[in-house]
Amino acid sequence: MKKTVLVVDDNTNNLMLEKDLLDVAGFEVFVAENASIAIVIARKEKPDIIILDVRLPDMRGSEAARILRQDKETRDIPIIFVTASVMPEGREEIEGITNSRFIGKPINTRTFAKEVSQFIS
Amino acid sequence: METARTGQIFEDIIETIREPLLILDQDLRVVTVSRSFYEVFKVKPEETVGQLIYDLGNKQWDIPRLRDLLEKILPENDSFDDYEVEHDFTTIGKRTMLLNARQIERRMGKERIILLAIEDITERKKIEDGLEKTHEELKELTTELKRAVQVKSEFLANMSHELRTPLNSIIGFSEVLYDETFGPLKEKQRQYVNNVLTSGTHLLLLINQILDMAKVEAGKMKLVLSSLPMKSLLNEISLLVEDMVGKKKIKMLLEIAEDLPNIEADDLKVKEILYNLISNAVKFTPEGGKIGMRAKKADSEIEIVVWDTGVGIASENTDKIFEGFFRVDTPYSRLTEGTGLGLPLSKKLVELHGGKLSVESEGINRGTSVRFTLPIYIKEGGVI
Repeated sequence: MKKTVLVVDDNTNNLMLEKDLLDVAGFEVFVAENASIAIVIARKEKPDIIILDVRLPDMRGSEAARILRQDKETRDIPIIFVTASVMPEGREEIEGITNSRFIGKPINTRTFAKEVSQFIS
Repeated sequence: METARTGQIFEDIIETIREPLLILDQDLRVVTVSRSFYEVFKVKPEETVGQLIYDLGNKQWDIPRLRDLLEKILPENDSFDDYEVEHDFTTIGKRTMLLNARQIERRMGKERIILLAIEDITERKKIEDGLEKTHEELKELTTELKRAVQVKSEFLANMSHELRTPLNSIIGFSEVLYDETFGPLKEKQRQYVNNVLTSGTHLLLLINQILDMAKVEAGKMKLVLSSLPMKSLLNEISLLVEDMVGKKKIKMLLEIAEDLPNIEADDLKVKEILYNLISNAVKFTPEGGKIGMRAKKADSEIEIVVWDTGVGIASENTDKIFEGFFRVDTPYSRLTEGTGLGLPLSKKLVELHGGKLSVESEGINRGTSVRFTLPIYIKEGGVI
């Protein structure tokens, strides 16, 4: 069975890049351009992992993550935050979200899919 | 007879006082005044003695606050200290005066006299006001400066974020293309896309270094301290430039003292400093030249010298190289090879550890030595 992943990013270029990299690596990929759609897809598809941009048009990625953590259907899905904020101030908001980690932009295309697979297990 | 003598003593006292002093009788008429009163307030003796104080100098002394003092306050208190009066005199302009008054009952007879000392504090006041104004201005300036630093720091954080987002696409897609993940490229295409990739990576390095510079300047760069095995660390760094060194047929020499101790420092930052300096040495040294690193213990510090036999630095440029983005065009270095921030950033990172960094060169084409120190133990709270 293919692993499933939900990629959430409002920048369509970045969304395409991450989707293609995960496609090639053998994932089944769902995409969303904002948090509301992402939450709907996450509840319906229950992906193995969620790749979440921190800055989204309708809410902060951290806020979306907290909503997902309150729902027992999505509570345990691992989340990787991908953000261009590398300043320590930018990371504070995602601290304390269980089962999550952080990857800074620009992503390393050669290791990205591997990092995602490793975080599922 | 007695009264006359007392009067003389009074006059003598008054004459010796440098400050303007008046003696008034109980009807507030001037009995006598000190010389300085005439000098400071430009009034004539013949228009003064025997006159009502308010009438002095063509009624210039008819000052409401003075009337308050002499007619209301003094009769009730017998004395008054440091009573400030400001008045615009027609002859001498606006003055600020400090009045001290004493009411003295004469033993003989029932009349009383009033001693009135007038200190002209106009100049002092001016200086004090000036100081206060300067102090206020300084305070405003400090607030403004703090705000500017804050704005700059926020601006840089935003800038970094905004630049990274498109860079993610530039670097990401060109990397995937170059790796031929979705099919083979023609040689020319591979070459072009590699140019996009290296330029994108260069831009990312620039952004990171500018951000680091700003962080150090804003005092926001924190050191993550651990014990660093310097001997192996120096070897490790030399391996990183081995390829570059081999390609240019440069000889690299490592002289590491036997007793070189471990130091307490930030691992990543020390590596960054060393890498910046040794890669500069490679960059600015022509084929067939030599570069090297020397490390030894010096008291409570270690001293590291990164040297080369390369292009050197003209004496007029030895300060400019720390300004950032300063680079001398040389036949050995292409523009894309460095950011121009490696050396200034390294200096700041050394200083952050409490060390010093300096550059020596005997001139053009005579090589360069960068010497820096790092303390073996970071002093508690001693880091800037």
